[in-house]
Amino acid sequence: MAYSIALGSSHRGRTLYYGVLVVLSLIGLIAIGVRMVEGMRVTALSSPMAWGMWVAFYIYFIGLSAGSFLLSTLIYVFGMHQYEKVGRMALLSALFALVAGMIFVWIDLGHPWRFWKVFTRWNYTSVLAWEVLAYLFYIATLAIELWALMRCDLADLAQRTSGWRQRVYQLLTFGFRCPTSESEYRRCHTQSLRLVRVLGIIGIPVAIMVHGGTGSIFAVVLAKPYWYTGLFPIIFLVSALASGAALMTFLYAFFGRKDEEHFAITRGMANLMVLFISLDLLLLASEFLVGLYGKIPEHMKVYHAILFGPFPYTFWIGQLLVGAIIPILLATLPRTRNSVFWLGLGGLSAVIGIVAVRLNLVIPAYVVPMLEGLEHTINQPRWAYHYFPSFWEWASSVGAIALVVLIFSLVFQFLPMFHEFPERFEKAEGGVSHD
Amino acid sequence: MMKAKRQVEKTVQEPQDALEQWLTEQTSHLQPGETVELLCDFPDADVRAHNWSQSRHFKLLSAERQGDQWRLRLQRVKSQRAPLRLVGRREALRRMAQTLFAGLALTLLARKPSDAQQPVEESIKLPELPPPQPNEDVLIRMMRDLQRALQKPMHERRWVMVIDLRKCVGCHACTIACIAENKLPPGVVYRPVIEEEIGEYPHVTRRFLPRPCLHCDNPPCVPVCPVHATWKRPDGIVVIDYEACIGCRYCITACPYAARSFDFGEHYSDGTPHLAEYDTAPSPGYGRFWERKGNRSPVGNARKCHFCLHRIEKGLLPQCVTSCIGRATFFGDANDPQSLVAELIAKPNIMRLKEDLGTEPRVYYLV
Repeated sequence: MAYSIALGSSHRGRTLYYGVLVVLSLIGLIAIGVRMVEGMRVTALSSPMAWGMWVAFYIYFIGLSAGSFLLSTLIYVFGMHQYEKVGRMALLSALFALVAGMIFVWIDLGHPWRFWKVFTRWNYTSVLAWEVLAYLFYIATLAIELWALMRCDLADLAQRTSGWRQRVYQLLTFGFRCPTSESEYRRCHTQSLRLVRVLGIIGIPVAIMVHGGTGSIFAVVLAKPYWYTGLFPIIFLVSALASGAALMTFLYAFFGRKDEEHFAITRGMANLMVLFISLDLLLLASEFLVGLYGKIPEHMKVYHAILFGPFPYTFWIGQLLVGAIIPILLATLPRTRNSVFWLGLGGLSAVIGIVAVRLNLVIPAYVVPMLEGLEHTINQPRWAYHYFPSFWEWASSVGAIALVVLIFSLVFQFLPMFHEFPERFEKAEGGVSHD
Repeated sequence: MMKAKRQVEKTVQEPQDALEQWLTEQTSHLQPGETVELLCDFPDADVRAHNWSQSRHFKLLSAERQGDQWRLRLQRVKSQRAPLRLVGRREALRRMAQTLFAGLALTLLARKPSDAQQPVEESIKLPELPPPQPNEDVLIRMMRDLQRALQKPMHERRWVMVIDLRKCVGCHACTIACIAENKLPPGVVYRPVIEEEIGEYPHVTRRFLPRPCLHCDNPPCVPVCPVHATWKRPDGIVVIDYEACIGCRYCITACPYAARSFDFGEHYSDGTPHLAEYDTAPSPGYGRFWERKGNRSPVGNARKCHFCLHRIEKGLLPQCVTSCIGRATFFGDANDPQSLVAELIAKPNIMRLKEDLGTEPRVYYLV
């Protein structure tokens, strides 16, 4: 099939890849089931440590989504057409990352089956309530954009395939018919791009609201001086862009179209990644230095906890080494910067390292008791100022991620991820011109 | 002026909005400007009539307590309706936009959720108190203050708590009494007592700071709730609607005093052959008893001190006040200048926690 992409070098590799994902997904589904039946007691959270790893993953995936989407607007809104081949990939990752984020925020609710109350009892003073609306609007924008981009190819595929595949493709076209003549096809393609451009322009403020807003959920909390800064939502946005660029570097290096542009595009993405990671480091340094210079205990103690606290490796190894230094080195050292493989690995490293960034954005804020001495009042595990995710939290997190990656991989394989001028027109015309 | 009287038939299970239905019936014939006087024996008729009148063209002129009954005076408000007149297209559009905007603003502003109170089955019989005496126990005086406050409509009360840190000996009786009263599970504590050691051995002294919910006037926990499941009542108590709460724990995060905790659904006797009675006993709060079973509310909810609302309604002081061995905790209506708490909060040696945050707590400390 023209559009299928080889995941892994061999058939066996692919089987192994899907096998592992299926097993992990099953474990994740079981863990989520256990969490639904047993309630929040399966977590290692406590009353003071109210938000933990699930919330960290929630903001991680929202960030990944917003970052990927904003990258796609570089192409469709700002006209950087040299990266066109990344466009659909970015939008599809944005969609799936958002779904992953939704899964995490959902399993984190004490009453998950009441989530619909956010719509019926919507509270306009709550940033969280606004965010839920923004997510919905954002999902719609993403879905329509993807459809508009792919409709010609989908209709084309529906004609060329048979059986269940044909039915799925047909369903995804939402009634769009395949253009029969070349001029019609070209007109349709231009129309799609115009629609995507408009949606992209609408999408930029929405994506900023999605992730800057997610940062605001934290930034408006005056009880936590670590969060309560104007820079906090901006840090969210910049690290979102960093994680989006990192994901695109990784995805395009390993699963992109392996043609003469492959290296140039990967390199371009890696450069963007380095830019955003550096900006993120700058903001981080600013926050840390200002916070540590003052002697406000609630402020200083959090930075102290991050740097030398119970889990210093989250910062030094996760956030700094894996999330920043390795990707920057791989993308800049003369030995590695010319290899698609190393660039892709750098992207993967940043994608993983930014998980640590997210963990450190959420959890350390809770280690400082709201009143001095409060940590010694009640000697109970659910009153403790110490948190390490429980087995079920790990299992459900890994499993949920595996499930989303699994579905993403399948969709990635069967959807037309790269724009291609239909062969039947190509013969008549002789050459393909890009938009 | 008309009069109507209503007695509750105690044997019949009444619908939740029986009082509201009855009020609608009794006032349906009123012309604008007319008033009606109603007698009824719902214990919380004042608040409910007030709420009822808010959403209609009625005004609650007064609500007085007469023994077990409430005497309510309701007036139908004169409505001003201009005669119909045709206006131009531009004007009509402008008005439409205005109405739309006003409507939008109003619905947003006026969305005050009903106080999740269900009618108490029996009418309240306030405890009988001895006649006032000089040098009487402050508890008796505060109960008298409390009863006086209960005679007023809810929005005229202003509950405050005063804790005298000089008298607190750190016995933790209030913490334990609160846990026993509210049947609190592990991890849920409404009123911990913070201990602080000052100086170095052997020159050591200790200080104790009990911390209930401060029922702030600008509660940071309230606006963050995505589902409007927590709010400040007219009398100042910050309450939670357990059935509406989705358990996102944003309010717990937002409280600068850590006064909210999360019910993880655990029991103190977990891991023993039988769940102890103190673990399974239903927890009082917000007009009913809550059985903690499985994942049903209040399990999975945020929980907090509500000044023992269930006790206040019956004319009793909050459990932490009653159980304080040193009479160090005071409770009452600050709007009543004769109340003990009104006297205490006017003292110069009063302070509140983290006042710089602008939360305006209603728990005061005497230092």
